[in-house]
Amino acid sequence: MGTVHARSLDPLPAAGPDIGFVVGDDAELVEVEPETRQEVLENKDVVVQHVHFDGLGRTKDDFIVYEIGEVFKAKNLIDVMRKSHEAREKLLRLGIFRQVEVLIDTCEGDDALPNGIDVTFEVTELRRVTGSYNTMVGNNEGSMVLGIKLPNLCGRAEKMTFQFSYGTKETSYGLSFFKPQPGNFERNFSVNLYKVTGQFPWSSLRETDRGISTEISFPIWKTSHTLKWEGVWRELGCLSRTASFSIREESGHSLKSSLSHTMAIDTRNSSILPRKGALLKINQELAGYTGGDVSFLKEDFELQLNKRLIWDSVLSASLWGGMLVPIGEKPSSIADRFYLGGPTSIRGFSMYSIGPQSEGDYLGGEAYWAGGLHLYTPLPFRPGQGGFGDLFRTHFFLNAGNLCNLNYGEGPKAHLRKLAECIRWSYGAGIVLRLGNIARLELNYCIPMGVQSGDRICDGVQFGAGIRFL
Amino acid sequence: MSLVADAFVSQIAAAEAWPENAALYQPLKGEQILLSDNASSLAVQAFLKMCNLPCQVICRANAEYMSPSGKVPFIHVGNQVVSELGPVVQFIKAKGHSLSDGLDEVQKAEMKAYMELVNNMLLTAELYIQWCDEATLEEITEPRYSSPFPWPLNYILVYQKRWEIQRKMKAIGWANKSLDQVFEDVDQCCQALSQRLGAQPYFFSKQPTELDALVFGHLFTILTTQLTNDELREKVKKYKNLIDFCRRIEHNYFEDHAKDTSAGGMQRLPKGPSLH
Repeated sequence: MGTVHARSLDPLPAAGPDIGFVVGDDAELVEVEPETRQEVLENKDVVVQHVHFDGLGRTKDDFIVYEIGEVFKAKNLIDVMRKSHEAREKLLRLGIFRQVEVLIDTCEGDDALPNGIDVTFEVTELRRVTGSYNTMVGNNEGSMVLGIKLPNLCGRAEKMTFQFSYGTKETSYGLSFFKPQPGNFERNFSVNLYKVTGQFPWSSLRETDRGISTEISFPIWKTSHTLKWEGVWRELGCLSRTASFSIREESGHSLKSSLSHTMAIDTRNSSILPRKGALLKINQELAGYTGGDVSFLKEDFELQLNKRLIWDSVLSASLWGGMLVPIGEKPSSIADRFYLGGPTSIRGFSMYSIGPQSEGDYLGGEAYWAGGLHLYTPLPFRPGQGGFGDLFRTHFFLNAGNLCNLNYGEGPKAHLRKLAECIRWSYGAGIVLRLGNIARLELNYCIPMGVQSGDRICDGVQFGAGIRFL
Repeated sequence: MSLVADAFVSQIAAAEAWPENAALYQPLKGEQILLSDNASSLAVQAFLKMCNLPCQVICRANAEYMSPSGKVPFIHVGNQVVSELGPVVQFIKAKGHSLSDGLDEVQKAEMKAYMELVNNMLLTAELYIQWCDEATLEEITEPRYSSPFPWPLNYILVYQKRWEIQRKMKAIGWANKSLDQVFEDVDQCCQALSQRLGAQPYFFSKQPTELDALVFGHLFTILTTQLTNDELREKVKKYKNLIDFCRRIEHNYFEDHAKDTSAGGMQRLPKGPSLH
């Protein structure tokens, strides 16, 4: 019997299920070396006797065993190849190996069975420390970002990352530790320590957050859940002397300690330009019961449905909404409220420039909703089809939404009426460029409607970049 | 915003009349405000009262962070925000009110010199006693300064502020001074002020100036605030004419409204005796 190589597949791109890598379709990728004798492999019963690992250094054996256990259960050769392939994908996803190759061979040795098979994984571990260095320019600020990553810190796929950004105006850093449960990568635990400074010109506000957070993620059925505790010391200040007095009144220090829970179901084939599937994300945050001087309950959700139509076009509908209820006497803080508007939410309006404002500084609102309807089509005449051109889409959109403050004594009917009053909406068309699988750029021509006094609009061409889109 | 634009805005502000809703912001009176902040706040209040400009005193726990310069007090007039006595005097002058217009150049220079003396000696001494004297820091400054904040922010912010003040003391060469030396400096400062005042009702005879407001703010606060020991107050009490000066300003400018705001509120300071 000949040797069968499950050829090493191209390294997986930076995650994302849309790369059309369906297990079972890979038969064509398996090369059977020329043989004089032809055999039907599928029906041939085999027993996986040994699984070898070459190249393991600091990775612990017990941790690896969970990932490859399934390989032993294979009953025939095709099964062995499929299971080995799955094991290989699982190993790569751990983020501790640079390379994994699988070698399937007949078993040799004294205890070899006639139909015994050995599977060998040839792995190359990532280095103990990897570093990155880059410079960024944006928001009237240049910065230097230094990153250090320690993958597989203790041999069980733990990961420590440190990022330090030194800018002309602000310094930020983040330190995080991540540990998955052996054999169940989706169940993981992480701790983060950070300092982030943000400048928000639409509110003339500057915020410095120093915080610590711990989170546990776990899947239940088809949903993924995250439980998080966050303690963050927030320092708010005015961006300039001319900031409105309402912003000035928010200045100072506060400490938020909150528990939050996020549930998500994502059946989309891609997070940036999906062709099919749906996303539902519900997030709730309760602050104040675990300490600190900020108390509120915050709920928000995100829903997106995608439907493939003829000629490769996709109809996508999304709905966002959220509500913030302050607990106790203290009014909500500007740092906790919602903001709406801009090229990533309601197009045709300037960034976060909808709703309550004071002298041109937007204060955010305690309740909001936003909906969007998009029709994505390939570029006209489809230039660059099958290559670069596939990163682009044209889209036609209709966005609508509202952001306001509610008087919580009034009851749900009045709230709905308030949210239905003064709806801002916009329509237009544009071009979308997908950047990897994490972000997208948009160039749109927008026509804003339902503009209320105080809103800042962006009539005409608007450029947007971001990772979360309505 | 460019300087030109800023200047333009203040020009416009100058043209506007003094609004009814002008407000002075300072930290919470009862449980938060410190000796030095109270002194500065009282000085600005006294100055506004001498100018006969009504101003409502508003207490906010985050007053320090609301202030554009990070120092209290500050006034909010129209849509302008101005902090500390010096800039307030300038701002009020742009609006056409001044207490020192009647003085000649020599007197103006003298007034400025005395104001510098008070700021460099009395204010610095107050800061020193608050933040560098262990007993005062532990018994008074720490609990008061940290009162609006939850744990562990209270410790962090006190530590931050303390570090900032100590760095300042190092920069001006006060870090190695002993408490007695600081009291000695206060005494010298009071002596200089007492000699300058002599038997006059105000530093420049009949009419009060911003110097009078500043001296009143500091001395009155020192006289009416209970610290861990009475030494600071005793230093001031030695000078009879300064005490009379404080009484005079209190009587002329604060007595009528004693029931509502400002100096009347001083009596509510913990264990603070009255001058009456």
